Amino acid sequence: MKHVSGALSGDPESGVKIPTRRALAKQQTRAKVLAAARRLFSECGYEGATIRDIATEAGMSTGAVFANFTDKSDLFREIMFSDMATLAETMREAASRGRGVEDALLRAFSVGYAFYKSQLPLARAAFSVSWLPEEGVELRFSDTAQALRDLITEQVQLAVERGELSQEAEVKLRGDMLFDCYLANYPEAIFLGWSLEALQAKARDQIRVILAGARRG
Amino acid sequence: MEFETSVLGAPKLGDVITFRSGGLFEPPPGGKLVSVRKSQKEATRQRVLDAARDLFEAQGYEETTVREIARKAEVAVGSVFTTFASKGDILSQVMADRLEELYGELDRVIPHLRGGVADRLRSLFAIHFAFETRRTKLFLAHIAAAYDWTLSPSTRPYGRNQRLRQVVRDCLAEGVARGEVSADQDLDVVVDALMAIYAWTYRLAAWEGADAAEMSAVFDRQVGLLAQGFQPRV
Repeated sequence: MKHVSGALSGDPESGVKIPTRRALAKQQTRAKVLAAARRLFSECGYEGATIRDIATEAGMSTGAVFANFTDKSDLFREIMFSDMATLAETMREAASRGRGVEDALLRAFSVGYAFYKSQLPLARAAFSVSWLPEEGVELRFSDTAQALRDLITEQVQLAVERGELSQEAEVKLRGDMLFDCYLANYPEAIFLGWSLEALQAKARDQIRVILAGARRG
Repeated sequence: MEFETSVLGAPKLGDVITFRSGGLFEPPPGGKLVSVRKSQKEATRQRVLDAARDLFEAQGYEETTVREIARKAEVAVGSVFTTFASKGDILSQVMADRLEELYGELDRVIPHLRGGVADRLRSLFAIHFAFETRRTKLFLAHIAAAYDWTLSPSTRPYGRNQRLRQVVRDCLAEGVARGEVSADQDLDVVVDALMAIYAWTYRLAAWEGADAAEMSAVFDRQVGLLAQGFQPRV
């Protein structure tokens, strides 16, 4: 492949590396496959969408799909991870606008529930996959999943630093408890059709009781 | 043999080993044809449940097919489906039967619980941890089922079992009566939080190889933090 990249790898004088045409084409193909996969997973769920369907939707051959992704779970994982990364950022941002730790956490939780409620079949597929022995472990142990847990814990830490919660707040343990409750409300959020308001009311009560013992004064 | 009393008579509550040791479910000798047929149907059902439980635990719920369950139970696939609507239904029933055993243990232990409400909760959940880690994979599949929207309404995944919640709720209500739990605390909020934290503690077993004692230790600290939140303000 040297002959290709040699000819196209950019302007040697400026020293700036421009992606080769082939690399660009590959990137575009990947993006196209991912977009098609996202549409199909959203419509048909994980089990309902086949690689063949995804290829057709993307307007390419199954071979072209397989040249970019090892299998369906690889595709799904890529979508999940990119969603989780986006979500983590949005949740952190929402939390930063909170007045006090309870409000910050509630805003972060709400962003999560609203995000997955807006794309139910995909969310349902994600939560089913997250319990599969292999894919589930990979998803849960990923840095991306950890980042979500961390940002909740971070809110507790910030509250300790602001003096809102006591120094003995057991930040890590409380953060885990909050995140556990956040996740445990998902069956209500994505399967039982709870409204965002109902979810918020439940989450608010949970946050309160978990933080109450750490409040100062 | 012991299994005769446990299978054909009333099962001894909490008696896990004798309850599981069966497999030879003969219809009672000399019974009328109708009762033989009925008990054969019951025997088939029990064989399916036993086979399913062992397969779910050995190779995982997802990996187990109804066909495999039928083969192990030595019944036709069709007769599995005359009794159960789906694999999820089988799992629900396996767990419901297991919970009977668990309730048996709880019923025996609850009258002897001592100490404050936090300690009582810790004891209740310690029994759960000890019980469920005998078959961790099975329990994880049970939790996972709560996220499976293809289940029929008759199935009861983790968290939708009212009796389990009730045991925890009763313990908290007693705490209110003794003045250890704030009277204006919404008990369902605490129950929900405990159920959530309890379930997620299993990630330690699933992915870090923790045993019941290690999980109980982590959970005990979390109960302590929660108790700070629900005890009456001084």
